[in-house]
Amino acid sequence: MNKRMILRHTKGGIFIHWFNAACWFILLFTGLGLIQNPQLQPLGQWYPNALRAVFGGGGLLIIHLAVAVTWLLVWLVFIIANWSSHVVPFLAQVFTLKPGRDMEWMIKKNLQMTLGYKAMAFFMKPLGLGAKIPDQEYYNAGQKVAAQVMLLGALVLAVTGAIMLRGKYFMTAPLADIAWVQWAITIHYIAAGVTFGILLVHIFMAAIAKEERPAFWSMFSGEVPEEYARHHHKLWYDEVAIKTSDQ
Amino acid sequence: MANQKLAMVIDAPTCLDCKGCLAACKVANNVPDGKWRNWIKGADPERRASSPVVFQPGNCMQCDKPTCVEACPTGATYKNQADGTVVINRTLCIGCGQCLAACPYGARFKNTDLGVADKCDFCAERRKFGLEPACVSTCPTKSRKFGDLNDANSEVAKLLKANRAVRVANEQTRTDPNIYYLGEPGPTNWTVQARMPEAFDFWRRLADPVVKAVVGLSGLGVLAMLGKQLAMPKDAPPADGGAHEEAGHE
Repeated sequence: MNKRMILRHTKGGIFIHWFNAACWFILLFTGLGLIQNPQLQPLGQWYPNALRAVFGGGGLLIIHLAVAVTWLLVWLVFIIANWSSHVVPFLAQVFTLKPGRDMEWMIKKNLQMTLGYKAMAFFMKPLGLGAKIPDQEYYNAGQKVAAQVMLLGALVLAVTGAIMLRGKYFMTAPLADIAWVQWAITIHYIAAGVTFGILLVHIFMAAIAKEERPAFWSMFSGEVPEEYARHHHKLWYDEVAIKTSDQ
Repeated sequence: MANQKLAMVIDAPTCLDCKGCLAACKVANNVPDGKWRNWIKGADPERRASSPVVFQPGNCMQCDKPTCVEACPTGATYKNQADGTVVINRTLCIGCGQCLAACPYGARFKNTDLGVADKCDFCAERRKFGLEPACVSTCPTKSRKFGDLNDANSEVAKLLKANRAVRVANEQTRTDPNIYYLGEPGPTNWTVQARMPEAFDFWRRLADPVVKAVVGLSGLGVLAMLGKQLAMPKDAPPADGGAHEEAGHE
């Protein structure tokens, strides 16, 4: 088997991925611990009680805010510094869906990942579709949708978080806009929940799913085997192959 | 030490409306301009014509069923089990103001100097040094009385035993307040109802189940994929499958 490697992630991309992962991990666990109301706490009161026993209630809030502000500032610097090299191409890729092909991919891939190739082919037959999973670009349709949801979730979390922060520390007009703060909390929770739902799939795909194991290692080394690229991201592979053969 | 149940018994007819309690409270607790932790309600206009004028001094009622605690998302506001007061942990308060609307008595305000909710705590700082709340100490007619209802020998417990006392409460919001009035303190039917903010109601009624469903479905999907991976470790495309599939690929 050809073991030639293809560059998939730059050092900057790898850094921002793991930086973001670390921040989200801390923010999720401290944020969830900030909810201590039996009507709202999804895990039960033991969770905030346990975290408060370790960090203290106020400590939890300080960690959450400090990490959140750091997260936002680092991202802002990253976005400005990499606007044309990373950000614009990334947005263009994840927001370009080819409805027919991507819908077909979604249905087939989901069936294949949960029931296997045979069952997928069986269900596709009456629809007149073959068993072939459509070729994908740099990102497959699932990654695109996940990226869209996580981007939107991150944006909503940042904005609602900023509203809450302003509400606590900078609100001088007494109560004039306190309903904004209250809605910000509720929306912050929804955004975190939906993002976490997507994150579960993302983490499974990367760390547990066997097929995507090379993609997981590429988040450290930056490279994927040529064979993996051709199999999972054929359209991207073809592009890269043409570019390299041109040189 | 047994748990206390701190309470106030207010002898309404002796209140002169001198506002000494308001001033003392403001100084003792460093309450910002324009905000008050306690109050004196005016007499009922109908009664004013026919009988001696009566005032109704008040402050946070340290309710046994506090609606403010129910509305607090972070647990910053809680019922202190040791002495029965409702207190605010300022380090945990995010200043969202949900407790403000949830208190039918309007006993809470946003302390914009500190970015947190604020209210009467029966002068916790003074009590540490064995002092009574500032409003009680300063009251010239001793209209406000303070003590532990769980202690049968306390002045407040004896007063409640010997006299008919009433509490001021809203019919719909039964918060079980811990301020008792002697004499006829004017209207005892508090007209303001506790109100949970819309965002809070939306969260507990709709956002909570929706988020749980999203995360639950996602978790189920992951479990299904994990199950398939374990059950069919050698799952491969059928022979007539993808055009670019290569034999031997797992």
